Amino acid sequence: MTKARDLANASTALSAVSATELGYLDGVTSAVQTQLDAKQAANANVSTTELGYLDGVTSAIQTQLDAKIPKTLTTTTGDIIYASGANTPARLGIGAASTYLTSDGTVPSWGTISAGGMTLIATTNMSGSSVTVSSIPDTYKHLMVVFKKVYYNSNDYPIQFRFNSDTGSNYYWQGFRAYNATVDPTGSNGTLFEPNIKTRNAADNYLNMFGSFNLYNYTTTTPKGYDSRFYWADSGGTRGHTQADGTYYNTSAISSITVIAAGQSFSGGTMYTYGVS
Amino acid sequence: MTKEFKVEHNLETGEVTEIELTAEEIAELSALRAETEAKIAVETQKATDKAALLAKLGITEDEAKLLLS
Repeated sequence: MTKARDLANASTALSAVSATELGYLDGVTSAVQTQLDAKQAANANVSTTELGYLDGVTSAIQTQLDAKIPKTLTTTTGDIIYASGANTPARLGIGAASTYLTSDGTVPSWGTISAGGMTLIATTNMSGSSVTVSSIPDTYKHLMVVFKKVYYNSNDYPIQFRFNSDTGSNYYWQGFRAYNATVDPTGSNGTLFEPNIKTRNAADNYLNMFGSFNLYNYTTTTPKGYDSRFYWADSGGTRGHTQADGTYYNTSAISSITVIAAGQSFSGGTMYTYGVS
Repeated sequence: MTKEFKVEHNLETGEVTEIELTAEEIAELSALRAETEAKIAVETQKATDKAALLAKLGITEDEAKLLLS
């Protein structure tokens, strides 16, 4: 009756304590705080805060830790972690300056950016009945030939192109010529490529021929495409422009380009051959 | 008489060579020249005919274009 009386007397103070909570005292044999303090002392290296970190843990902590990627996998600044196989982390060291991240289809690696752009591989003065650039390196993707101030020993002759000295009817082209207030179509299939232009027989800074010729994928063993554009003037000083695009229908890689003065001779001008990466 | 020649620029060696044309190449050059001259003659004749026709009609080239546009 003593305990009952004490509880009754403390009813006001115990209003916030439920019967269930009071039931937790069942079996207690000594002062709870004393017991708790004793426990704390036994685990002096682990604080209550640290114990609280276990909140939410659902399985063995060590097993979970072992499944994680160790930070020691990265050893150097710039390292990248990738999977060399399923569930197999691996390290990829930083690439050299100006390299780019690429792939062989399986794992990543660093690639070197090629120089790109155009490289002048030959400067050739134009003379004789034809000018050939031979043994063209096969290390480029495309070729570009630029003509500067070209003139002949005779008036009004066109310019012609052949590849690999091939005299077969493998040259196809279409284009147009703007000249003498008219624009006319031009095109053919023949034993050479002949953009329809005219040339003069003397040096002239304003009226000699300027132009360019592009030959695409010249090392491939499929037909190759080409295009060209020229600014020129005839013997009377009338200016013209010719643009022509075509196909060289031959599967041999091209190692030489011959520029022909259409039966006459080049008297001057410069031909610049560029390799395009 | 000046001998006909062609130029070859070997990009592997950098060597530029003037090569005298063979008889066969000279013949080919002559054929090419004749072929080109024939084309030029056709074009010249066409231009002459055109000018004559315009003169006959008494109109300019621009007026002819206007008629055909």
